[in-house]
Amino acid sequence: MSKSKSRSISKVLDGVSRRGFLRGTAAGVAGAAGVAAAGVSGSGRALAADKTVKIGFLAPLTGEVAAWGLPGLYGCEIWAEWVNGSGGIQVGGESYQVEFVSYDNEYAPDKARTGAQKLIHEDEVKFIMMLGGDTMPPVVEISNRTGMLVSTLLPSDLTPDTPNLIAPCEVHPIYNVTGVEWLAEAKPDLKTAVICAQDDALGRPSVATYLAAFEAAGIELVDEPLFFDISTTDFAPVMTSLMAKNPDIICLDTCYADFVHPLTEQAFQQGFKGQMISCTADFYDQMIAKTSAEFLEGFVFQFPDFDDPALNESFVNFQKPNAFFSEYAKRWPGEWGAVSWEYASIMDLWRAGAEAAGSVEPQEVLTAMKAGGTGLHAFGEAKWWGQELFGIDNALVGNWPVVVIENGKAVIKEYRSIPDWWSKHKDIMIKHFEAMGEMFYQRT
Amino acid sequence: MPKGGEAKPTAALWKPALLLIAVYAGLIVLPHLLSFSQKEIAVFLLINVLLVVSYRVLTLTGEWSLGHAVIMGVGAYASALYAKALGVPVPLAMLLGAATAGLVAYVLSFPLFRMKGFYFLIGSFAAGEVIRLLWKRFRDPFGGPKGIKGIPGLSDIEIGTLKIAFWDPVNYYYVCLLVVTLSLVVLYRLERSRFGLTFHAVHWQDKLAESVGVDTRRTRTLAFVVASVFGGLAGALLAHYLGTINPNRFDVEEMVFVLIWVIVGGTSTFFGPIIGVVVLTIVNEMVLREMGVDQARPLIYGAILIASVLFLPQGLESLGPKIKRLFAGRPDRPDRPDRRQLAGEPSRD
Amino acid sequence: MIDLLLQTCINAIYAASFMALIAVGLVLIFGVMGIINFAHGELYMLGAYVVVFLYADNRLPFFLAVALGLIFVGLVGIAMERTLFRPMRDNPLGGLIVSIGFLLILQSAVVMGFGVRMEHIPPPTQVIFHPFGLEGVVLPLQRLYVIAAAVLLLGALGIFLRKSRLGWALRATAQDPEAAALQGISINQTARIAMCIGAGLAGVAGALTAPLVRTYPYMGHSVIVTAFIIIIVGGIGSLEGAVIAAVVYAFVHTFVTTFADGVIADIVGLLLMLAVLVVRPTGLRGTRDRA
Repeated sequence: MSKSKSRSISKVLDGVSRRGFLRGTAAGVAGAAGVAAAGVSGSGRALAADKTVKIGFLAPLTGEVAAWGLPGLYGCEIWAEWVNGSGGIQVGGESYQVEFVSYDNEYAPDKARTGAQKLIHEDEVKFIMMLGGDTMPPVVEISNRTGMLVSTLLPSDLTPDTPNLIAPCEVHPIYNVTGVEWLAEAKPDLKTAVICAQDDALGRPSVATYLAAFEAAGIELVDEPLFFDISTTDFAPVMTSLMAKNPDIICLDTCYADFVHPLTEQAFQQGFKGQMISCTADFYDQMIAKTSAEFLEGFVFQFPDFDDPALNESFVNFQKPNAFFSEYAKRWPGEWGAVSWEYASIMDLWRAGAEAAGSVEPQEVLTAMKAGGTGLHAFGEAKWWGQELFGIDNALVGNWPVVVIENGKAVIKEYRSIPDWWSKHKDIMIKHFEAMGEMFYQRT
Repeated sequence: MPKGGEAKPTAALWKPALLLIAVYAGLIVLPHLLSFSQKEIAVFLLINVLLVVSYRVLTLTGEWSLGHAVIMGVGAYASALYAKALGVPVPLAMLLGAATAGLVAYVLSFPLFRMKGFYFLIGSFAAGEVIRLLWKRFRDPFGGPKGIKGIPGLSDIEIGTLKIAFWDPVNYYYVCLLVVTLSLVVLYRLERSRFGLTFHAVHWQDKLAESVGVDTRRTRTLAFVVASVFGGLAGALLAHYLGTINPNRFDVEEMVFVLIWVIVGGTSTFFGPIIGVVVLTIVNEMVLREMGVDQARPLIYGAILIASVLFLPQGLESLGPKIKRLFAGRPDRPDRPDRRQLAGEPSRD
Repeated sequence: MIDLLLQTCINAIYAASFMALIAVGLVLIFGVMGIINFAHGELYMLGAYVVVFLYADNRLPFFLAVALGLIFVGLVGIAMERTLFRPMRDNPLGGLIVSIGFLLILQSAVVMGFGVRMEHIPPPTQVIFHPFGLEGVVLPLQRLYVIAAAVLLLGALGIFLRKSRLGWALRATAQDPEAAALQGISINQTARIAMCIGAGLAGVAGALTAPLVRTYPYMGHSVIVTAFIIIIVGGIGSLEGAVIAAVVYAFVHTFVTTFADGVIADIVGLLLMLAVLVVRPTGLRGTRDRA
């Protein structure tokens, strides 16, 4: 597997047409009402006799936040082709083709509201997948009134008032405790840490989580968390500031890949010799190219490559992870990241719920999904959880992998249980969440 | 100072009155002809109409601000906090929010009106960014980067069996239509009043205006405050409909859209910005989305912007130096002939 | 502590060089054409993507890619001048709209060609200097390239503006376009040259820093705001002012980031600009107001 891509002129042009520009324009010129064209159709393979169920994809597809939506839509495209190609989903004795209808919410709450109304009332989707965050509150309101089932990647959207909103895949940032816990056991001589994060809805709760995880592991934080604005381009001053306290561990929090790379490069250039830990390390091969394999040896993070053999464990529920990874890399070279598989993994969960319910109706699927208090999370069976932290048990929490770079390759060291950590240290977590103003009763 | 000059031959009032009635009849029927998502778009469009028309008030004095989106946000944040934290009834909170936006603008006018032209443009941007960063930085009461959630909406009205819920886009559309119409009437009258004429005078002939006793600084401040009050009102309308606001909603990108609507529409007439926002919203939110060109949408939108400015300069002609020269000798007549045609008024010449 | 201070100074010098390259081009374009080029950040982005395409994807030598980036973006600048800005000259609002339209086009064209994600550019060199002989104070050669480019290119520009006939014409046009036209200076020609130089400087800044920053289609957004702050602090008519302001801003921002945090640094930067504007409403070196 090689993630490096070669791009020639013809490939770029190919990319333009492949990325739907020509196809979309043609549909517009043809004067099609175009609602279907806006979505990802099942490659026209749908049989006339089959029923179709529509799924809404309401995420940013253009603008600065598009990197958190668009690659997920690509993943869903592959998911839909595979599922539809093998006969669709079986619900109540009938087979359904799955069709995604996308609406670009530009990460703006008003467009999210408009999009949700369109998806629910005009496209009649049965489930809406979202990134969440700024765009979530108006959609929650609509979901509460229509009973529409909605998913988010950001569990910090969950409150007691969001009964139809689920966070079934990424229980960000709680899983970050697993990396710190593993690190403290594997390298007990590391005693001090510093942390930096972008000042936003992802960075802050994650800082609270890492602070709790460090405290639980007996690691001392030697400086206040350093926040920077998301428009920052030069990370030399940030790294200089972090290294000024001579910490054993530099924690990059849930910095976006765009920040993890320059921060890591700066740590390398400024001669950092200690341990690094981060939530993500997307495109770590490029980080190695910018630093060295020796420098990145032992870098701890939380997102495995999907060609990792450990994903073929019997308890992993993500369908064909290795094939999905290579198919994705083939179609969208260089676009692979966490969101690439997360939306697709939510679809696996939804499919299981719909097939168990014998219905595609949102409330029935939700009931079936949550039956027994457990669900099939991508990384193994997990429980519906969150009452104490989010005020509602709508986050699916179980194992999460701890990933370490060894000899230039990300390796899953082990799967760790988040509920186990929680049962031991929940008071510490709640304390730090409260200090950061991130508890559900502070987020109203 | 010339008089406002509202006296017109009664016969000549027929045409505009009929036109106005026809337009409003259309606007009242409109939401029932639209699809669900188009109803939502119509609500946001009405709010944006108020935003651009209020923005134009400031431009009358010749100053262009990059802070208007943030001022809208001040109205939204203030109104939301009054209603949510202090329990002020929503309609009153909206008015107080608008007043707060005006007050903030008044305070800002002291540093900002030391500057003119491009410096004012960028100065207003900096002031706005400082406000936005304060919202991000002070989580209490502004909620930090995630902003404020759970903003109360207008409470439902029950008259016998008839229940009017303002969460419904159609009902809120009528609320907006009413508020925006009243605001537009006020702004329209204001522009025709003595104050409005001094705005124009300050724009085109500020030295001359000063020499006849117009306090240009005070006039600019007045225009800035009035623009901000109504911009803040637009923000309040938005906040209590959406139920959530955050600092990103009022960032420079949003401001760029306001500028685009206003400039593409043109500012020399009262209706220019309205035409701009209506046409461009329909293009961007309906036509381009229907075409299914999601990723290419900004590209096509950008091309349309360029084409409209290059090939349809009507919206812009009043801004060019040509017009400046055209008006140089006639500070007392800010209107251009086509303005009255657009407004459906008879010519006074 | 001395390590920390010296390192922070080096960081600030780099930041100043980078910002000066961008801000000077922006000032030049504004001075000659009276147009606020909102798409300036996207020209910087374009320069970075030339390096992505030629150096990272097609393995051309780094400096060849940078040189081609300078030329390519300079040519884009000339094309912009001819098709977009010439009809809008001295119409700042029209210029604003066409440049916004153009930036939307550039952004989505790059998204369609290269994807929304950050690009990967292998470092052209990994040499690191210790300029003060201290282990804790580093100056990577990659950053030195940017500093050197800023000094050389801006120095050359200064000489060109003072010593050559074209440079003289450029300065004359920036001071008073109508008087310059009366002197027989072709405004079209000076505008073309200003746009070419301004765009080329942004392009070379993007090309040189592409391996250092996050290179993604919306990267122009974050520099344009800072560039505006700098040209305002400097005074929008003044190239020297832009350079001075870039240095001042970079030092303030870098030191506040290091000793407080990045968000506070942004607030301080904006307040610095407001303070300068209130005290000197035409900026540090500005003399007049064309907008």
